[in-house]
Amino acid sequence: MSYYQLVPGVYVEELPEKEGKITVSIGPQHPGSGHFRLIITIDGDVVVDADPDPGYVHRGEEKMCETRDYIQNIPHLERPVVLDSAGIQFPYILAAEEILDIKDKVPEKAKYLRILLAEFNRVISHFYFLAIQAIFLGHSTVLEWSMADREVLMDLAAMLTGARVTFAYFVPGGVRSDVPSGFVDQTLKAVGYLRSRMKEYWRMLVDNPFMKMRMEGVGVLKAKDAIELGAVGPNLRASGVEYDIRKVDPYSLYDTVEFHVPTYKEGDTMSRIKIRLDEINESLGIIEQVVRKLDGMRGPVRHLVKGAALRAKPGEAYARTEAARGMMSFYIISDGGRTPYRVKVDTPSFRNMKLIPVLLKDVRVADVPIVFWSIDYWPVEADR
Amino acid sequence: MKASEFLSGFLKVVESGLRHLVRKRMTLRYPEFLVVPAPDELFGFKPGEARDTNGLRGRHLLDLDRCTGCRLCEITCNGISGAITMVKVEGQFPRNKRGIFPSIDYGRCVFCGLCVDACIFDALFMTDREELAEYDRAALLYGPEEISKPPKELPVKIRAKRAELILDERRGAHHVQRKN
Repeated sequence: MSYYQLVPGVYVEELPEKEGKITVSIGPQHPGSGHFRLIITIDGDVVVDADPDPGYVHRGEEKMCETRDYIQNIPHLERPVVLDSAGIQFPYILAAEEILDIKDKVPEKAKYLRILLAEFNRVISHFYFLAIQAIFLGHSTVLEWSMADREVLMDLAAMLTGARVTFAYFVPGGVRSDVPSGFVDQTLKAVGYLRSRMKEYWRMLVDNPFMKMRMEGVGVLKAKDAIELGAVGPNLRASGVEYDIRKVDPYSLYDTVEFHVPTYKEGDTMSRIKIRLDEINESLGIIEQVVRKLDGMRGPVRHLVKGAALRAKPGEAYARTEAARGMMSFYIISDGGRTPYRVKVDTPSFRNMKLIPVLLKDVRVADVPIVFWSIDYWPVEADR
Repeated sequence: MKASEFLSGFLKVVESGLRHLVRKRMTLRYPEFLVVPAPDELFGFKPGEARDTNGLRGRHLLDLDRCTGCRLCEITCNGISGAITMVKVEGQFPRNKRGIFPSIDYGRCVFCGLCVDACIFDALFMTDREELAEYDRAALLYGPEEISKPPKELPVKIRAKRAELILDERRGAHHVQRKN
């Protein structure tokens, strides 16, 4: 019988033990797991069973929504996934607009600005993914590179919104601020710069023979399994299923921008890296198109909703978007008050958590961090 | 994997790495330099245009003459971080008969700027000052008098020079000192 001390000397938990095998608890406070516990059973050097144990960073975001009005809910809803704060705001705002009945009043310019910030955030989030994946691979060059290149877009986002990470930029009715002077030029330059860098990333991570040896054929997720387990986002597309909410169910003005959805057939750790590199490229394309459209576009950016109009009619609303990690959706029920009656957040990380036991099976212990991180699981987002 | 394939891939990686020896450094010597990406403008809300001005969201700036003590900022902040409380200020304020003004606890503030949006009297703004560290938690509580004054210049020893990000495809992203 093995024990795990949750609080040393106070609370001891029994871990199941199988004949001749060792059960190891990774986390919850471990740099390689995020704030999340992973219980793996190993036979020699090979993982025979992996059991994710979420809940360590549960914050009760859904309950918090019930005591705040539709504008006060904005800042705290960004906190579960600060790396992709526009990604989690987008579906909330779309659902809130539907329930407040101001969906048709959102200015066109605001819709483009939303797409712009959402794509900024997708790139920022994917760069963070690459950084951590690289350091798990022992490739600290790419760690430094991607952390530095994130800064370019974070500075631009700060120019637009006033904050580097937690933007609080989307509001029911539009966005909060207009395009500043010099922003369009600076963004086009940034797109050019990052495009030239993406070739180097590809060379460093994908064509690198050492990375090929580490990642090709490791942690394979077959397309059939991915669909059955309900995988979303880049992980699903890396297994060969072309499914992107931006194409399947276009929201905002995504149907007016051109991009394609990259897919890979292999479904291994390497293809999950390749898909994110491709997605950064596609996002840069969207940013370029949107910025060119915004250049010289006039008009309001926000339909101002005041006091009494923030009171929603009884009813329900649902909105889904493609965040950096996959499909993010919000379901809001209102009973006619100032605050929502119930808010349900469906996050991509929670859906992707089901992949962990499948992916980690028959993987060597040394490969556990890279396979685990390759699905870009963000514990705080999953726990909400 | 063939030996030739391995070798060429490896050499390309080394070449990519070596090229960065001659590129400009992207990192910034932080206390001496500070990036201020936003234009030098106060973050404020324009009710007429229904938008915020572009500026960094840092420490607040309160216009005592315009504030009416309507508590809209406090009501908004209550559901967000609870950083704003109204306090009484001695003196005569024609627009604010009760003499109550917001005081902000920067130990709680999340710098979302929604209090600025809530202010319909154009009295609350945000400056780009983000360095607010103190040794004492109580010192983070700023009263109306403190937030009504523009942020003090930092002592010369730690005063940062403003830097600007230059995006160059060939030489890499780097910073230069801003002229203005």
